[in-house]
Amino acid sequence: MENIILHNISKDFGTFRAVDGVNLTIKSGELFSFLGPSGCGKTTLLRMIAGFETPTEGSIYLGDKNISDLPPYKREVNTIFQNYSLFPHMTVFDNVAFGLKIKKRPKTEIKDRVHEMLKLVKMEDQANKYPDQISGGQKQRIAIARALINKPRVLLLDEPLAALDLKLRQHMLIELMDIHDAVGITFIYVTHDQGEAMSISDRLAVMNQGKIVQEGPPDDIYERPTSIFSAYFIGETNLITGDVYKVYDDYLELHCPDGTGKMLKLDSSFHKPVSEGTRITLSLRPEKIAISRFKPRPQDDINIIKGQIEDILYLGSHTQYIVRVGKLKFRVFSQHKRVYFDDKALDWEEEVWLFWHDTDTWLIEDNPLDILTDAELDDNGNLQRYVKRSKV
Amino acid sequence: MLSSREVLQEKKKNLSSWLLSLPSMIWLAFFFLVPYLIVVFYSFLTQDIYDVKFEFSLDAYRQIFTNGYLQPFFLSFKLAIYTVVICLLLGFPVAYYMARANDKLKNTLLILIIIPFWTNLIIRIFSWRIFLSYSGVLNGVLMKLGLISQPIEILRTNLAVILVMVYVYLPYMILPLYSVLEKLDFTLLNAAMDLGANEIKSFFLITLPLAIEGIFAGSLLVFIPALGAYLIPQLVGNQQSLYIGQVITYKVKNIPRNWPMASALSLTLLFMVAIMLLIIYAIYRHHLAKRSS
Repeated sequence: MENIILHNISKDFGTFRAVDGVNLTIKSGELFSFLGPSGCGKTTLLRMIAGFETPTEGSIYLGDKNISDLPPYKREVNTIFQNYSLFPHMTVFDNVAFGLKIKKRPKTEIKDRVHEMLKLVKMEDQANKYPDQISGGQKQRIAIARALINKPRVLLLDEPLAALDLKLRQHMLIELMDIHDAVGITFIYVTHDQGEAMSISDRLAVMNQGKIVQEGPPDDIYERPTSIFSAYFIGETNLITGDVYKVYDDYLELHCPDGTGKMLKLDSSFHKPVSEGTRITLSLRPEKIAISRFKPRPQDDINIIKGQIEDILYLGSHTQYIVRVGKLKFRVFSQHKRVYFDDKALDWEEEVWLFWHDTDTWLIEDNPLDILTDAELDDNGNLQRYVKRSKV
Repeated sequence: MLSSREVLQEKKKNLSSWLLSLPSMIWLAFFFLVPYLIVVFYSFLTQDIYDVKFEFSLDAYRQIFTNGYLQPFFLSFKLAIYTVVICLLLGFPVAYYMARANDKLKNTLLILIIIPFWTNLIIRIFSWRIFLSYSGVLNGVLMKLGLISQPIEILRTNLAVILVMVYVYLPYMILPLYSVLEKLDFTLLNAAMDLGANEIKSFFLITLPLAIEGIFAGSLLVFIPALGAYLIPQLVGNQQSLYIGQVITYKVKNIPRNWPMASALSLTLLFMVAIMLLIIYAIYRHHLAKRSS
C-alpha cells in the first residue's frame, strides 16, 4: 500500500531550485531514507512533507489525500527535529503530552498515553525533569515519544542523530529500528551519513542537487550504483575509466587509457550491453579486491593485475593499501595484514597481485563523458575527483 | 576544609574586589543614600506655617490617608497600568518582527527605535503639544477625514497623557522584549505546529511563556517611571486630575512648602513600587523553584 506519494515536486527559493522534479512513492510501514550531501534538497523535501514549506510545483499525497496545501497542524505527520526542539519551559511529561493537550483529550487518557510513550522510549523515570536537565540521547527519546503520541501515519526524522556522539548514535540507531518495528508506521529519515542510511533503511533515495539520483534498497545502491555520484557518495570505490576493447559472450575487455593497454574483464551478462570502442566508467569497491604477493591461479572470471604498494594505512578493522598499477591507483581494503600463505605482512614498495571476480566490476550506466569535465580526468584519464556538471 | 593558603587567597580576592567597588560605593553612599535618608528624616518632621519644625510627627503620613491624597495615587497607578498594557500590546509585535528580521533590517530598526532618545524629552513633549493642540495636526486630519466637524479638546486630557506616555516609554518595552525574542528558537514554533497547535495556540503556549522574562523586564521599566510621571502630565495633562508626581512637586514648589508631606508621599510611592517588585520577585522565584525541584 502506498503511504506517501510525491508527484513531480519542485521547490524554488528565489532563483535557487532546491528540489527539482522529484517523483517518489513510499510504501506504508517502510523505513525510507533520503541521503545526500548538505544542500541537496533532502531537508526541504522533508519540510514539504511536514507542511513547513509548500511545493512550487507538484503535489504530495498521504494515502489518497492531497495534502500539499494543508498546514502542518492538519497533517497526520509528525517530525523529529534535528536539534529535538523540546519545549524548554515544559517538563518531559508536558512535552510528550503536548499533542494530546492540544486535542483536549481527557486528563486520564493523556496520563496513560504519555506513560505508554515514555515506556516505549524507556524514559518513564524522567517524566518530571526539564529538557535542560537530561542528556542529548534522552532528549532524542523524548522527541520521539512526543512525535509518536499523536499516532501519526508518517514519522519524519530530520538528521535525528547528528548531535549525538558515535557510540550513542549507533545505539540509538538500533533503538530507532526497534521503535519502528514496534509502532509499524512509515518512517522517513533524512541524513547525510551513508552508514546510518545504509544500516537503517528498507529503501533509500540518494539525492544530489535537488534530484533523486538513485532509489532502491541499500544493497542495491551499494552494489549496483547507477551513477558516478551514488558510487562515490555511498562507501568508497575505485572508479576506472576505459574503452571497451572487445565484447565476448560472457565478458568484455576494457583498455584503460594508461598507456600500458591494461585489460579488465567484466561479466557482460551482468550489465547492460555496450558496444566496442565506447568509453565507460567502472566502479570497483576496495573490499572486493584481494591482495597477495603470490600470483593466483588464472581463471576466466577473475581479473588479475600486478601492481606496487605505494601506501599502507592501518585502520584497525582493516588495512587500506594504495596500489599503483601502471598509472592507475587502486584502493584495496584487506582485513588481514598478513598474507595467508607465508604469514608475513605486505610492505611498502612491494610488488603485489590484485585480483577480483568479474561480477565485482560494475559498469556505471551513466555516460561518464556526459557528466565529467576533462579537468577532472588527469593526463592518464584517471578520475581525480568527482564534480557534477549539468548536462548540456 | 580549606588550607590556610587557600583561605589567604580567598581573602586577597575578596579584598581586591572590595577595593574595586569602593569608589562606586562611596559615590552611591554620598549622593544617593544620604539624600534619601534626609527624605526619610524630613517625612517624620512637623510642618510649620512657613517651614519645618525639627520635631517628630506622623502628621504627614496620617494626612495621606485622610486628606484625599489617595486619589492621585490611584490615578498614577491607573496611568502606569494603561501605559504598560498599551506598550506591551504595541511593542510585542514590533519586537517579534525585529527578532525574525534579517541582520541588516534588525540593525536599521534598532537604530530607528533609539533615534528619538537623541532629542531632548521636553522638546519632544512640546512637539506633541503642537500636534495635539486645538488647531494642531491631529484635529486637522480628523476634520479632513470628516470624523469630527469642529476641533476637539485632546491636549490637556488624560488621553493626551496616555498617548505621550506610550510614545515615550514604548522603546523601554520593545528593547527587553526584543532581547528575549531574539534568543527564541523559532523551530519550537514549527514543533508546536507539527504537533497540532495552530498559529494562535503556538503563540500562547510557546512564544509567550518563553518571552515572559522580557515581558516582566519591559513592564517594570515602563511601570516604575510611569508611576512617578511628572513632566508629561504637567505639560499635556490638565490641572483637574493631578498625578502623584505632580502633587509631590507642588508640595515642594508652591509656597508654603510642605517638606514633610512631599517626603512622606515620595516614600509611600517608593514603598508601593518596592512591594510590587517583591511580589514579582516572589512569582519569579516560585517559577524557578518549580523548575529546579
